[in-house]
Amino acid sequence: MQSVTDLALPHLPIEEPAFAADPMPYIEAARRQHPWLAKCNGGYVVHGYQAIKDLLYMDDRLSASSDDIIEIMGAKGTRWGKFIQEMVLAKSGPEHARLRGSIAAAFTPRNVNRYRPLMQEVVSRLLDEWAPKGTFNFAEFASYFPITVLCRIIGASPAAIPNLRHALETLGLAYSMDRSLMPELEAAYNQAWGFADQLVIERQTRGSSGEDLLDVMIAAKAAGQLNEQELRDMLVFLFVAGFDTSKNALTLIMHSMLRHPEHWVRCAEDQVFCDKVVEEQFRHTATTSIPRTLAEDVSYGDIRFPTGSMLIFAVPMSGRDPTAFSDPMMFQPERISANRHMAFGRGMHMCLGQHLARAQIGEGVHLMAQRITKPRLVGEVTWRRFPGVWGISSLPIAFEPNAHLKASAVHANS
Amino acid sequence: MVKITYIEASGAEHVIDVMPGLSIMEGAVKNNVPGILADCGGACACGTCRVFVDEAWRERTGKPSDMEEAMLELHDDPSPGQRLSCQIRAVENLNGLVVRMPKSQF
Repeated sequence: MQSVTDLALPHLPIEEPAFAADPMPYIEAARRQHPWLAKCNGGYVVHGYQAIKDLLYMDDRLSASSDDIIEIMGAKGTRWGKFIQEMVLAKSGPEHARLRGSIAAAFTPRNVNRYRPLMQEVVSRLLDEWAPKGTFNFAEFASYFPITVLCRIIGASPAAIPNLRHALETLGLAYSMDRSLMPELEAAYNQAWGFADQLVIERQTRGSSGEDLLDVMIAAKAAGQLNEQELRDMLVFLFVAGFDTSKNALTLIMHSMLRHPEHWVRCAEDQVFCDKVVEEQFRHTATTSIPRTLAEDVSYGDIRFPTGSMLIFAVPMSGRDPTAFSDPMMFQPERISANRHMAFGRGMHMCLGQHLARAQIGEGVHLMAQRITKPRLVGEVTWRRFPGVWGISSLPIAFEPNAHLKASAVHANS
Repeated sequence: MVKITYIEASGAEHVIDVMPGLSIMEGAVKNNVPGILADCGGACACGTCRVFVDEAWRERTGKPSDMEEAMLELHDDPSPGQRLSCQIRAVENLNGLVVRMPKSQF
C-alpha cells in the first residue's frame, strides 16, 4: 500500500483551454503513467471508469468540496458561497434526505412522462421561431429549450427567461475553478435568488393551484420539510442543474451528429433510435465532473488517500475508458455493453432530474432532427472549461429548414 | 441473518446471508452479486436495482409504494412481482426469499 503523496503521477492541466478543447492527448499520455489517476492543481483527477464507479459510491467517506471550492474561488462571506455550502448537493445524511425527499417524488419517470407533450410544444415553438433563420449558434438555440420547459413546469412567466438565462449561464461556471468569475457569480446568484423569491411570494399571494412543481415545493415548506431560504435555494438549484447540463448535452449531440449525418436523419424518423443516440452521447461525452473531499482516510486498490484529499471525478472521461468500453471514441448508438455510463453521477447525489433530462433531450432531438435538416458546421467550435460542467459554448451551424412541419402539426398529435 | 436467493437472468444462483435491516439491494451490492447496479445507492431514484419477487413471497414483501411504482414505470415491463430491491428490507419473515434479476437494469 502506497500513500498517494508518494506516487509519481502525471499532471493534468484540466483548467487549461487546450485541455477542454481536446482532452484525449493528455488523458492518453496520463494513462501510460497510471491507468486511472492523475494530479491536478489542488488535488487528484480520477479518470478511470471502475475507479470512479467504486470511489464515487463511498458516500459515507466523501464530502462535497464546498469549503475547497469557496477557498479556491475566494467566496468566503459571499451569498453565493453560502449557497454552495447550504444547497442539497453539499449535504449528507438526514439533512440531505430531508432536502432531496422534499421534491424527489416530482421527478419520477411517471411524473416526467406527463410533461412530454409540454416538452414537444416548447421545442416546436422554438423551432418555429429559430429554424427559418437557416443558420445559428446551436448552443444558444438549445439553451432556450430546458429553461422554457423548467419555467412552464414551475409555473413561471416566460418573461423572466432572458435575464434568468444569463444568470444561469454564469452560475453554470460555478465549479470551473476560475476565481476571476467571482463577482459575476455573486451577481448571478442574487439575480436568480430574486427570481425565486418573487416567484414564491407571487404564488403564496395568489394561492396554490396544487398542480405544478412550485406547489409541491411550497407544500413541502408548509409540512416543515423546507424553510423559507431552503425553498428559494432549491428553486435556484433546480434551475442551475436543469439548465446547463441539458443545454450542453443537446449541443454535444448536434456536434456528434455533424459527423454522423446518417444518425441525424434516423433521429427524425425513429424516437427509439433517438433515445439510443442520447444514451450514447452521455457515454461518449458526459458533461459534469464531480469534486469531492475525503472526510476520512480511504484506501483503494493499492493506494492510500489521506483525509482532506480533493478528488475530481472526471466523469466525462469515464465513458472513454477502453477497459470499460470497446472502441470508446467511436459513436455507436447500437452499442451493446455490460457497463453503463455515469453521466448522471453515482451514489446518493445522483442527478435527481435524470429522468426529466432524458425525456427532454430525447423529445427535443427527435423534433429538432425533423426541422433542422442537413446541418453543417460553418464556424469555429469553442469549448467551455473542463472542470464543472464541460461542453461546447459555440457551435455555429447552417442547415436546410424543413418548413413543412410546424408546431401546430405536433400539437394536433399530442 | 436473513437468507436471500438472488437468481441472475442466466439462471446462476447466489444464496446470501443478509444482515437484518439492510435492504435486499444492499445485500446484493455488499456481496458483489452481479445484476443489481443500484446507481443511486438506495434512494429510489434510478430504477437500476429491479428484481422480480417469486410468487410465493409477494404477499410477505408487500406492495410497492406510490413512489416506487412511479419509478418502476421507467421500464415499461408488465412482468408480475416487479420491485426495486432497495425498497425491501431484509426482515426475519423474509428468510428464504427468492428474487430474480432482469437481463439488464438499463
